[in-house]
Amino acid sequence: MKKEMLRFSGVSLIYHTKLGETKAADALSFSVSEGEFVAVIGPSGCGKTTLLSLAAGLLKPSEGLVERQGSCGYMLQRDELFGWRTVEKNIFLPLEIKHIKTEENCERARALARKYGLGDFLQSYPSALSGGMRQRAALIRTLATDPDVLLLDEPFSALDYQTRLNVTEDVSGIIRSEGKTALLITHDISEAISLADRILVLSPRPARVTHEHTLDFGEEKNPMRRREMNGFSGWFEILWKELNA
Amino acid sequence: MKKQKSMGFSAEHRQFLKKRRQNVALVWSLRLGILVLLLGLWELSADLGWVDPFLTSSPSRIANTIASLYDDGTLFYHIGTTLWETLAGFAIAVAVGYGVALALWWSETVRKMLEPYIVVINALPKIALGPLIIIWFGTGSTAILFMTVLVGVIVAIMHMLSAFIETDKNKMLLLRSMGASKFQILTRLVVPSSLPAFISMLKVNVGMAWIGSIMGEYIVSRAGLGYLIVYGGQVFRLDLVMSATLILCVLAAGMYFLVVLLEKILLKNTEN
Ligand SMILES: Nc1ncnc2c1ncn2[C@@H]1O[C@H](COP(=O)(O)OP(=O)(O)O)[C@@H](O)[C@H]1O
Ligand SMILES: [Mg+2]
Repeated sequence: MKKEMLRFSGVSLIYHTKLGETKAADALSFSVSEGEFVAVIGPSGCGKTTLLSLAAGLLKPSEGLVERQGSCGYMLQRDELFGWRTVEKNIFLPLEIKHIKTEENCERARALARKYGLGDFLQSYPSALSGGMRQRAALIRTLATDPDVLLLDEPFSALDYQTRLNVTEDVSGIIRSEGKTALLITHDISEAISLADRILVLSPRPARVTHEHTLDFGEEKNPMRRREMNGFSGWFEILWKELNA
Repeated sequence: MKKQKSMGFSAEHRQFLKKRRQNVALVWSLRLGILVLLLGLWELSADLGWVDPFLTSSPSRIANTIASLYDDGTLFYHIGTTLWETLAGFAIAVAVGYGVALALWWSETVRKMLEPYIVVINALPKIALGPLIIIWFGTGSTAILFMTVLVGVIVAIMHMLSAFIETDKNKMLLLRSMGASKFQILTRLVVPSSLPAFISMLKVNVGMAWIGSIMGEYIVSRAGLGYLIVYGGQVFRLDLVMSATLILCVLAAGMYFLVVLLEKILLKNTEN
């Protein structure tokens, strides 16, 4: 039995605004264990980002309990690199914020950047990077503090199709080879199938977990090859029906 | 880029660069040309008696007036007085305005509390406070400095506050997900990302500072370019009025240019 890194037990969340209240999460219960890659799919506006904010501890649940082991790293839809900082300084940002900017940690972050093809760009400004490279830099920034759980909020949806396939491959490769636990939010069914070990399907707002599937691609973790496997279209059909039920 | 040798480029690109250079040269010669033309026409119409130089002055009379101000040693005294009031007022307005805007960003309660007062003070024509300022601060430089600060500071506050408030929400979320404190969000994100707004605030405030100092000198002063203009008007020496105005133009343009230079230095690496 693997260690549970993240557990939601009956988590609900209500947003309160001047105009009224919006229930964005309804009795969410699920867990993510160590080293697992879980994708969450749901229609847009159903409460996916809310779920991730809850997981990160940025929001307190109105009801229920969120338990997380260890630290987490958050990656957003857009890279959100700071244009006035070099790529290297961007990658060091979480180290600065957490007051752990030691020479050792900096070198670790630099090594990650070099390993994943950003070595020559450490002293450049983000504007010199292509969309795909910017997203890779954002992932390395997220990994700089060596977080235990990665929370990814539609990190590929702002990229054009061609770049998206490449970056998905890149990012999944990095996450797998670093052995990270990941919770990926997406509204793209094929992206979820090509990346995840397990998929949670959410209902329209307020988000509830309606279905949960463990994918059967065995040891095949590569998104490109998964897309060419036999089971792929079958999973697509199942999930598409569940999403549009 | 600019310094790159044009040798490596294709003939077509060299042609393009040449055309561009020619275009820039043309624009500059036209700019200079129109100035020379206007000055010449002005001088000529005054000399030939088409207009009354007593009312319109003329370039040569302006040059003579400036020379005589220089000779009796008062030219730099007046320039220095106005320049000091303007620069000091500018610096104080910018610093205080930035500080207040930061405080207002920090506390939403304080912001909401002060909002209506700021709006009212902004709408008030500052010159209405002239008599009060004279009574409180006398008729010296302090009064003018106060007027200059007053004109600039509200603009600085409003400009910077709106920039602080518009800080990218997703970047804030990112920092909060890293566990950043409010102070860290301020120093790592709010201040650097508002740098372009800071520069544009400086540009606006260069103008505000000159309005403040000259307006102040109109009301109270015994020295400075604004004083020369008012005095020249009262004794009907339009040569003096024109001369002081011309010097003012040059100084204001110079100060604006310095801000543009600062902008080039500060913003050279960012993508905003
Ligand atoms: N800060 C907030 N205040 C009020 N309502 C919000 C807030 N954030 C999100 N919502 C609402 O909650 C619902 C779910 O939002 P979100 O989690 O961002 O959806 P998703 O990421 O799935 O598109 C939406 O209807 C949205 O309008
Ligand atoms: Mg979302």
